[in-house]
Amino acid sequence: MNSQNPADESIFSLVTPIDALSPDIRLEEVTKHFSDPRNAKLLSLPVVENDRPIGVISRYLFMNIYLKHYGRELYGKRPLREFVNNTPLLVELDQPLAEAALHVAANMQFPLTEDFIVTRHGRYLGIGFVMDLLKAMEVKMRDNTAKLEQAYTQLKSSQLALVQSEKMASLGQMVAGVAHEINTPLGYVQNNVAIGQELFSQVQIMIADYESLLVMLQDGGTDEDRVTAQLQKVTAARNDANAQEMLGEMNGLMADSLYGIEQISGLVHDLKNFSRMDAAANDLANLNDCIESALNIGRNMLKNKVEVVKDLAQIPEIMCAPSQLNQVFLNLFTNAAQAMDAQGKLYIKSWHDATHIHISVADTGKGMPAEVVDRIFDPFFTTKPVGEGTGLGLAITQQIIQQHGGTISVESRIGEGSSFHISLPVARSGASAASGIETCAQVPERHI
Amino acid sequence: MSKPTLLLIDDEERILRSLRMLFFIGYDVRTTTDPDEAIRILREEKVHVIVSDQRMPVMQGSELLRIARETSPATMRILLTGYSDLDASIASVNEGEVFRYLMKPWNAGDVKKVVAEAAAIAEASFALQMNLEPALEAAGIKPRVLIMDNDESTAKTVHETLGDRCEIVWACDAQHAMEELAKQNVSMVVSDLMLGETNVDYILKTIKQLNPQTQCIVVTSFSDTSRLIELINQAQITRFLPKPVSKGIFARNLESMLERFHLVRSQPVLQKRQTVEPISDPAERVSAGNFIGMLGRLRSRIGV
Repeated sequence: MNSQNPADESIFSLVTPIDALSPDIRLEEVTKHFSDPRNAKLLSLPVVENDRPIGVISRYLFMNIYLKHYGRELYGKRPLREFVNNTPLLVELDQPLAEAALHVAANMQFPLTEDFIVTRHGRYLGIGFVMDLLKAMEVKMRDNTAKLEQAYTQLKSSQLALVQSEKMASLGQMVAGVAHEINTPLGYVQNNVAIGQELFSQVQIMIADYESLLVMLQDGGTDEDRVTAQLQKVTAARNDANAQEMLGEMNGLMADSLYGIEQISGLVHDLKNFSRMDAAANDLANLNDCIESALNIGRNMLKNKVEVVKDLAQIPEIMCAPSQLNQVFLNLFTNAAQAMDAQGKLYIKSWHDATHIHISVADTGKGMPAEVVDRIFDPFFTTKPVGEGTGLGLAITQQIIQQHGGTISVESRIGEGSSFHISLPVARSGASAASGIETCAQVPERHI
Repeated sequence: MSKPTLLLIDDEERILRSLRMLFFIGYDVRTTTDPDEAIRILREEKVHVIVSDQRMPVMQGSELLRIARETSPATMRILLTGYSDLDASIASVNEGEVFRYLMKPWNAGDVKKVVAEAAAIAEASFALQMNLEPALEAAGIKPRVLIMDNDESTAKTVHETLGDRCEIVWACDAQHAMEELAKQNVSMVVSDLMLGETNVDYILKTIKQLNPQTQCIVVTSFSDTSRLIELINQAQITRFLPKPVSKGIFARNLESMLERFHLVRSQPVLQKRQTVEPISDPAERVSAGNFIGMLGRLRSRIGV
C-alpha cells in the first residue's frame, strides 16, 4: 500500500484487503483479531454480512465495553452485531480521491478511532487508512498548486506580451498618423530650402554683376558702352518685380521652415517618449505634459473631427511612469474620437486638491449603455468590430492607473457622451523638485 | 500667351505659401485653405491645374477633385498628400480621376515638371472646348476587351455586360495576355494585380505605350497603397475596384469605361490627359522592356 506517488493514483492504492468479521461471532472473539499482528495497524475492523459492509468495530469502542464493570462477563458472549457502529466511513473504489477525502474528512470523528471501508459496487473490498488518504490528498494538492503556479506564471508572461502588443497596436496606428504629421512640415521645409537654393544662386549672379560694374567704374578706362550695358543689366535685375517679391517672401519661408523643423522635432520627441520600452522607468512628471504629448501624437486622428477644449490647471509634478500615462491618455483620446461619429468636442480638465491630482476626459460622442459601462474595464471586452480593438485598451489603462495608486471611473449617457475621471495621489513622501537629493516616492513596481 | 492658372488647396497655410513661391514665376497662382472657396474659383475662373491636399477639414481632397471634374472638366487634377491610406487613393482614382497622386514631402523639381506637363495638357483641353458628350461609336469597329484575371466571376460579368458590343478575350496567364496584346490593340483591360503567380503591374504600366486609348480597370483583392499610387501615376488606371465587387457596380463601371474609350478615341487630347509617368521600379522597367520586345517580335511574326 506504500505507493510511490499517491497523487497519481486512485483509491485502489489505499486499499488493504483485511478479512472482515461476521456480525454473528461473539464479541469476545474480536480480541484475537485485534491482537493478530497482521492487524496491528488497524484502528477498527470491518463487519461484513453477505459481502456488504454493515459496520465497524473499533479498538476504542471495544475497549470501552470491556472497561466497564464486568464488561467482559456481561457482553463477551453476546453477538458482535449488537455492538458495531453501523454508520461506518464508506468509500467506493471508483470515487475520485478528492471526493473521498472530502467525504471522510467531513464525517470522521475525533479522536480518530476508525478506518474507512472501501467497497466496490457496494461490496466489501478492504480497509483504508484515513491518514493515508489525507496524505495522498496533500500530495495531490501540492501537485495542483505547482501546476497552478506554473499556469499563473505563464498567464503573467502572456499578459505582459498582450499588454506589449496592445501598446504596439496603438503605436502602429499612431505611426501612420504621425507620419502624415511629419510629412506636411517636411513638405514645405524641403520645398522652401529648394526655393531658397535657387534664389540664392540668382542672388549670387546679381552680386557678381554688381561687382563687375563696380570694377568697371573703379577702373575708369572701361569703354562707355560696356559700362552702360552692365548698368542696364544691374538695373533690370534690381527692378525685376518677381525677384524682389521672392526675396521678400523668402524671409517668411525661412520662418516657416524653422517653425516646421520645430514641429518635426517636437513630434519626433513625443514619439520617442511614447515608444519608450523601459516602461517601468519612473520620473517626476507633470501630467499636463503627458496630456499634451498624447494630444500631439494623436493630433492627426483628432484633427478635422474633434475640437479639443483644454482646461489644465497648475498641478504639482508626481512620481510616475510618464510613458505609461501617455498611453493612458492617448487611449482615452482615441476612444473619445472613435465615439464621435460626426464633429464633436473633447473636454480635458486637470486640477488638484491636497491629496490627489484629478484629470477628466469627456467627449460629446454617442455614449454607452449601462451594460457596456459595467464591462468597460474588463479585459477583452470590446464594442469595436473584430480586428479593430484588442479589448485591452481600457483594461490596461485601469491597471496602469491602479499601479500608480490611483482610480479611474466612467460615467456615460447615451447620445450625450462619456466622461472618464482619473485620480492619482500626489507624491506620498515629501519628495519634491526643491529637494533634489531626497529619494523620491516610489511608485509600486509594475506587476503586469 | 497669358500664364496658366494654378489652384492650390491645403489646410496648412505654410504649404500654400511654399508652393506659391515654387510656382511664382510662370503661373498665376491662386491659393486657399477652404475647399468651398476652391469650388467657387473653379466655377468662375479658368483654372488649368488644381493641386489639392487629401486630408482637410470639411472636405476630403478626392471629393473636391470629383467636384472639380464636374465643374471644370478641362482642369487637370493632382493630389498632393502626406497620408497614404488606401481609401483615399481608391477614391482619388474612382472619383477624383487624378492625373497624378503625389506624396509629401515632394521633390520641387519633379512637382514643377508634373505641373508644367499638366498645364500644357489643360491648355490644349481648353483650346479644344472639351466635348464630353458620349461619342458616337465608330461603325464597323468592335471594341476589344482583355480580361487578365483567373476569377471566373470577373469574366462572367464582363461577358454579360459588354458581350453584345465587344470582342472579349480572357487571358489566364501573362503569356496568353501578351499573345492577345500582340494580335491587336485592346480598348479596355480588366485585370487583377496577380495573374496566377505573376504580378502584372508591369503589363498594366506598358499598356498605354501600346495604345494610349486603352482604358484600364483593376479588380483585385490586393490592398497595397503604394502599389496603387504607382498604378495611378505610371499606368493611369481609370478604376480600382476592390474584390469582392458587387456585380451592379462592376457593370456600371464597365459601361462608363467603354464610353470613356469611345470618347478618348474621338478626342486625342483626352489621350494626353492620361499620359503616364515612366516606370520607376528598376525590375519592372526590365520586365516591361522585355515585354515590349517580345511583343514586337510576335507582332512582326504575325504581321500586325
